[in-house]
Amino acid sequence: MISGNSTEPGGPALRIENLDKYYGTFHALRRVNLAVERGERIVVCGPSGSGKSTMIRCINRLEQHNGGRIAVLGTELNDDVGNIDEIRREVGMVFQHFNLFPHMTVLENCMLSPMIVRKQPRAQAEATARRYLEKVRIPEQAMKYPGQLSGGQQQRVAIARALCMQPQIMLFDEPTSALDPEMVSEVLDVMVTLASEGMTMICVTHEMGFARRVADRVIFMDSGEIVEEAPPETFFTTPRNERTRQFLSQVLDH
Amino acid sequence: MEMVVVAPPAPGRLEDLRRRFFATPLQAVLSLACLTIMVFLAWKLLNWAVFSAVFTTSGGPEACQAAAGACWSVIAARWRIIFFGLYPYEEQWRSALACVVVVVMTVLSCIPVFWTGRRIALVWGAGTALFYVLMKGGVLGLAHVGEEAWGGLALTLFIFVTTCLVGFPLAICLALLRRSELPWISRTTGLIIDGVRSLPLISILFTFAVVLPFALPQWLQGDKLYRVILGSALFFSAYQAEIVRGGMQGVPTGQEEAAMALGMRYWQRIGRILLPQAMRNALPATINQFVISFKETSLVIIVGFFEILASGNAAYGTGEWRFAYVEVYAFIAFIYFVFVFSLSRYGAFLERRMSISER
Repeated sequence: MISGNSTEPGGPALRIENLDKYYGTFHALRRVNLAVERGERIVVCGPSGSGKSTMIRCINRLEQHNGGRIAVLGTELNDDVGNIDEIRREVGMVFQHFNLFPHMTVLENCMLSPMIVRKQPRAQAEATARRYLEKVRIPEQAMKYPGQLSGGQQQRVAIARALCMQPQIMLFDEPTSALDPEMVSEVLDVMVTLASEGMTMICVTHEMGFARRVADRVIFMDSGEIVEEAPPETFFTTPRNERTRQFLSQVLDH
Repeated sequence: MEMVVVAPPAPGRLEDLRRRFFATPLQAVLSLACLTIMVFLAWKLLNWAVFSAVFTTSGGPEACQAAAGACWSVIAARWRIIFFGLYPYEEQWRSALACVVVVVMTVLSCIPVFWTGRRIALVWGAGTALFYVLMKGGVLGLAHVGEEAWGGLALTLFIFVTTCLVGFPLAICLALLRRSELPWISRTTGLIIDGVRSLPLISILFTFAVVLPFALPQWLQGDKLYRVILGSALFFSAYQAEIVRGGMQGVPTGQEEAAMALGMRYWQRIGRILLPQAMRNALPATINQFVISFKETSLVIIVGFFEILASGNAAYGTGEWRFAYVEVYAFIAFIYFVFVFSLSRYGAFLERRMSISER
């Protein structure tokens, strides 16, 4: 569904140019450049502390960048609060620790933002919420509280909650890292379905199997830089950079 | 081969008592001694309060004084002063009705059905207006009664309710300002909160009642009652702000990030995500603060108001009932107990309810 706003329908989904980010004196992102087309699926990987989470958190301004440019769906991300609001409406995010609202039911979690941000009537918001809960395969949990669900179920609710805003881009920040191993696949399955339906996705993840299956491009980051960028076949079989080879041998060899 | 595990039989009630209190000879002696003392004290108290007490006013103060037990006649004779203070005798039904309004308003706002912004505002707006019209009069054919004549339970309730009504939103504002990202705002707020907290309530009440009129122009002063309420609300809000801030710190940062990522604006995040969770965390301490504030209303005696404790003083202070002060204070203590105990039971109910919804 395309929502009517000022974002250009034809342009790239995301354009990052010479992005710099500092935490105090620590240089977290070093002149990062990245362009993502609509419908593209990007997997970002790399050792911890390499800046991958920081990069995607800059895209919806959970972190403020210190240099360079970010344009999301044609809207420039700067100090303009109107622009920030517009971008956040169109960009959904899924967190490592789910961050569901514990004081609301699953259904309320999904309905809140469409109602107060998109100003949808309650009935419409509820219908949308139920549709997406169906899609992530937990319609029967709608009236429960997040604390009553397993980690995998909570993460699927979090995906449904983000989708209820009908975003054009989805960001995933290590969505399976906090899950017990037996729950990883139920979340990945939902993400694969989403990818097959043409959603623009940027996923920070260590799930190399997922990367192989759905990614159009895999990006490897180290020390705040994009070190390698390639389609999955090339990335996994003939990585060019030494650091990439080292990383791959660590995550794949066991 | 199957193993059958059988739990040991639960001890009966007598067996349980024996194990807890009569396990060794020394323990048995101590238990018996304590029991004797407790029974003796209970008997003494009951005898004073009930069996040898005088309940009717028929014999007058003299017969009452001669009795061995409590003289509850003083309550029967003087309850109007205790409840209504100096409020005009013929109009005291209004004061009684006003107390009922406050109680109903409080009970209504304790019921989860009324927990939406609009409903709670309606209940409190209408309740406070009704209370004010009933007490003050001057409209609808009700005779005018100035604030200086208000007293007793009605005044205590009025001061408590308005203190909370003004102080609570102020506390939330202060707590939000204190966590501002701009250092000059957060530091100034911190200074105000810590400044107010470092002063005794009495000195604040005294300043607002007596000193402020010298500093403010006539039209800004308002009645002394409202200045005192403002002072006590300020005091309440300084403490409550720290309680709310503590509750906010217990909310994980991921909650606000998720709300931001969903496109919510500052006030939406505060109102829908942060505050509801923060208030849950802060609930036990908040109830505690309400209880303290309820009891601290008695301090307005110092600036010359006839709240319930001062009315009690007046009830036995006039000659003939002078000997019966213990009974009057016991009665007032009982009234405080009823309110404070209901408040803390309600707090316990809320905590139980929330623990169900969250886990």
